[in-house]
Amino acid sequence: MARIILQNENFDFDASKKQTTSTGFLSDRGLLKKRSQKYLDLIASLDQKTLSETKGIEELMKGLQEEFGTAELASLPIGIVAKCFLGDPYEVHRLDLTAQIIRHYKINESMEPDFEKARTLALHNAYALVEVYKEKLILIRLDGTASKTDIGTPTNF
Amino acid sequence: MADQAISYADLSYINSELRSIGSYISGISNEIGVISSKQDNLENDLVVLQSDLAKLTSLFNEFVDADTRHKALQLAETRVGNLRQELDLKFGYYAEVRRMAIGILQAVDVGIVNDNTLQFTTEEVMIKAPGYWLAPALVALASWIRDDRHNTENALNESLRRDDYKATLFYMLIMRRLGRNDASLKWLERYFMHQNPHNLSREFITILEAVITGVFPPAARQLMMSNVKDWLDLLTHTDNFVNQQKAQWVSFFEASGPLPEGKYPLLEKYCINWPTLTAALKAAKTHKVLQAYFQDIVSSTDFSKSVKVQLDEILSLLVVNFDDEELPLQEQVRLNQLIIQMDGSKSAAEAMMNSEKHIFEEKVDFLQLLTNASFNPQLAGATKATQTLAVSISQPWIVEAYDTFTAQSRNKIPKTIELTIEDFKTSTKDGGNENELVKSQELFYENMLRIELGRISFPWGAIIIGSLLCLGAISFVVAAPLAALVGVGIGGVIIWMSMKNYNKIKKAIIANVEERKRKAKEVLRGCIAETVDYRNELATEDANAEEVRHFIAAIRAEDFTSLSKETARNII
Repeated sequence: MARIILQNENFDFDASKKQTTSTGFLSDRGLLKKRSQKYLDLIASLDQKTLSETKGIEELMKGLQEEFGTAELASLPIGIVAKCFLGDPYEVHRLDLTAQIIRHYKINESMEPDFEKARTLALHNAYALVEVYKEKLILIRLDGTASKTDIGTPTNF
Repeated sequence: MADQAISYADLSYINSELRSIGSYISGISNEIGVISSKQDNLENDLVVLQSDLAKLTSLFNEFVDADTRHKALQLAETRVGNLRQELDLKFGYYAEVRRMAIGILQAVDVGIVNDNTLQFTTEEVMIKAPGYWLAPALVALASWIRDDRHNTENALNESLRRDDYKATLFYMLIMRRLGRNDASLKWLERYFMHQNPHNLSREFITILEAVITGVFPPAARQLMMSNVKDWLDLLTHTDNFVNQQKAQWVSFFEASGPLPEGKYPLLEKYCINWPTLTAALKAAKTHKVLQAYFQDIVSSTDFSKSVKVQLDEILSLLVVNFDDEELPLQEQVRLNQLIIQMDGSKSAAEAMMNSEKHIFEEKVDFLQLLTNASFNPQLAGATKATQTLAVSISQPWIVEAYDTFTAQSRNKIPKTIELTIEDFKTSTKDGGNENELVKSQELFYENMLRIELGRISFPWGAIIIGSLLCLGAISFVVAAPLAALVGVGIGGVIIWMSMKNYNKIKKAIIANVEERKRKAKEVLRGCIAETVDYRNELATEDANAEEVRHFIAAIRAEDFTSLSKETARNII
């Protein structure tokens, strides 16, 4: 039988579909813009900060606001996880943006589940830092390029 | 006396009777023997009979099966004939119109048929095939050729009224065939208006490819690109469609991994988290495979020369192809043809029919069409050129899918390698702590030696008995010196023997543990060496991900179109 290439179906192009808006695919474009060197340096400088340096935190938050612009609070990451260069036994540190605290974690010390899922990737040399969002992780490479991943639950090995 | 006489007479009689009974019995037993041998024979026969019966049954089943198939085959052959007749009766005229369409096209190509003949035949067709879209289309074509504007417009409108989509496609292809670029572009525009990006028919990919590779005029490409852009905006407006494609790409990436090479035999044997290790390596090795895949797609300059041929093919399919009202009958014809092809097996024919349906009748959204063309252009009915375009259009979500895949595989890289050699459990990150591990393994075996040696008891009993014997013997040394000497000798021998035995066992244990330790150490060192290699290989393969990402991120639809413009100029 010859190939049936034409089906005489009614043409039902639904123009109203165009009006549906969502915050999905397109809104993430903004999240995936290249991060500035300043921002990367700012996060890298976390190693020198300690928990008690409240002034440092203020400066840090200001720097972050600059980087994320006037983004709404909901679209900001809940925190940032990055490699810690304080040396053994410290492995990673976490900047909690909701609580506005920095904490350094030792090798066998576990973080909150939301942050823990970013740990392995934060330790990977390809990424400078990992921005943790409620439903996704944004991986920032050393040159500032961002990529999204939908890793949900951490894999335990 | 009387008793005696009776007893004599009776005895002889009884004796003879007994003898005869004996002979009877032996006769019976003989017969029983014969019977049992016969029974044996019968049983053998029965077995033979049973196997014969089984053979017969299977033969009979085969026969029934063959007969059913034969009948089904005959029936199918008859039915094909009948159905064809029915088709001919009901829609026979359509076939004639279709043949005429190709005939007219060829006649126009060479210009050897009189305008009047064209007019007469097409108008006759119009009367004879009521309701069929191709008839007025042919009238329009014939009137257009003889420059009869009024008639052309009327016929055109009628054909569009009867089947807008098919008529549009028909005119678009005809205009292209005749080299009327502007007209063909207008029809293409109309064709695009018919397309619903959520529900595209299969021939769309061929048109897309034809436009891309420059079979249509260059303006067609711009038209197509702007349409495609609108569709993309529409489809990528919500996450739904893109996420579907992303998921497909991620699973495509996951499935592209190479098979394990068995490079790490010791780790495979002694590492308890080897499955995760090998999975991580497989995922890391995928990057290289994908690089080759994408490079192959992008570097391909294979702008198929067959596109024009393909266009003609669509045209002839369009005119030759069955119209919807004929489809039910045509499907039955196809099923019966398949039954004939499958030697009368109805189930096989139905299965074949189902898969064909799936291939041919599937309608897909635009993004899915692109993904299909990217994964397997041949199956999607496209060439490599379309594959390249599909990949370049899909690039944004391919990158995202790739990022997800990379992050997933990196997330799965095990932090430590857990080794279990004999009962010695240890873990290493990258094999850098070799000395430490070797030391702890030595400690483990020292400990083991201590425990093993602790299990054998020192022969205190034998030594005490021996010593007591000696002491007792010594006390008799004055009274019976000879006996005392013998006693001391025996005691000494008991002590000596038990000590010797004890030392022998101890030595054996030490030797055994030493041997185990030596072998385990070799294994440990081997495992560490493999760990170092594994980590190196993993890091190297993983690093490819950055390169591949860079490569995919650099793919742009514009690169591709500039490339195809060159070809387009060559063709037009």
